[in-house]
Amino acid sequence: MSFYIKLFPFAVALQLLFSELLTFNGYQANIMLLYVILSSMPSDNNASQSTINGFLVGLFTDFVLFSGVYIGVSSLVFSICGFWASKVSHNFAFRNFDLYWIAFVHLGIVIYSLFRYDYFFFNDFLLFLSNCFFVTYFTCFVGFILIRIFSLKEAILSA
Amino acid sequence: MSKLRIIFKDYQERFSLVFCIFISFLLIFNNDTAVIKKSKINSLDTFSFLFAPFNWLDNQLFLNKKLEVLSSENLKLNLENQVLKVHEDENIRFREFLNFKKRDSYNFVGADVISKGVSANMSSILIDRGQEDRVNINDPVLTSKGVIGKIISTSKSSAEVQLISDVNFRLSVKIVPDDVEGILRWIGDDICEIAELKKISDIKIGDVVLTSNLSIYFPPNLPVGEVISIFEKSDSSNRIVRMKLYSDLSTINQLFVVQRGDEL
Repeated sequence: MSFYIKLFPFAVALQLLFSELLTFNGYQANIMLLYVILSSMPSDNNASQSTINGFLVGLFTDFVLFSGVYIGVSSLVFSICGFWASKVSHNFAFRNFDLYWIAFVHLGIVIYSLFRYDYFFFNDFLLFLSNCFFVTYFTCFVGFILIRIFSLKEAILSA
Repeated sequence: MSKLRIIFKDYQERFSLVFCIFISFLLIFNNDTAVIKKSKINSLDTFSFLFAPFNWLDNQLFLNKKLEVLSSENLKLNLENQVLKVHEDENIRFREFLNFKKRDSYNFVGADVISKGVSANMSSILIDRGQEDRVNINDPVLTSKGVIGKIISTSKSSAEVQLISDVNFRLSVKIVPDDVEGILRWIGDDICEIAELKKISDIKIGDVVLTSNLSIYFPPNLPVGEVISIFEKSDSSNRIVRMKLYSDLSTINQLFVVQRGDEL
């Protein structure tokens, strides 16, 4: 829980920085999703707490950070990712840390894209995939750099 | 009762997940209700200060580049304006001779972008003009280069703009010089697709795309983009055209809201 609170202002500032200044062809890295996934991991979190935390962060993202899609989508995505991310055993995450968060980024962005690019999903599946692909890998790229720069792996696993 | 409590404790995690998913879907399906719309615009109004430092930083970082682009555009437009002024006088005289109906004029309200949102690939943005500046829902929004979207919600001092890059956005356009009309939708980056164009129409790459006379909210002849490719569908009597927007969606900072003014 303390990890959630400590990292929150930092995640918001980073998300705003990325959305205002560091977009790539209009695509933005989903820092809030990364934040929910990584904060759900520390072993003192139980799944209920992570789910509700994810839900509240999602509401904040939709209402305050202006997510631009339907209100409720971020809370849905973050609740699911928060729940599953906290279900992963500590040993698995310890040995496969990158696989752990990258898999959840994929899960989150696929659900998110189903709402954001719903039209493409039914009418132009290739375009849906390409949008999904760009957002996922831009987020993964940014996540990879952040984890290395701030040594988040050690911080999260020892929390 | 105690049995229920035990069951709840056993399944507490799943209950919380189902509860959160249920509330999220409730919100998603009630997005169009007045309460949600109002709370969204109120929270954005209240927390718009969060975006200010990042906007300021953005302006500082790209100020010189923007100034350079604006100066060169200004010079180009000044030269064009000289020629167009002569044509305008001539056009007004001819319209009077032929007793044509007078055209509407438009007021442009300048606006700064407060937030581009945190969603991947922008679909709407927030601007610093609202009801106090007589900005209304469905008012068209332009950059200095062309159409970029329309107002979808307003508060006292801010408004939300639905961008062309929203997959649900549609715009009735025409391709000049042949005035072929079609429906525009965004497909990715700064590229849009125009469908429902007649197959017999004569369209060439480089033709200009303007708003058509059929739109209820958009005045005719506002610039939108230019044709970059043309596709024929063998099983249809229509053709599809791809066009590039004049406005660069990734670098929008200053916009103009179009308000109907007096007749010219």
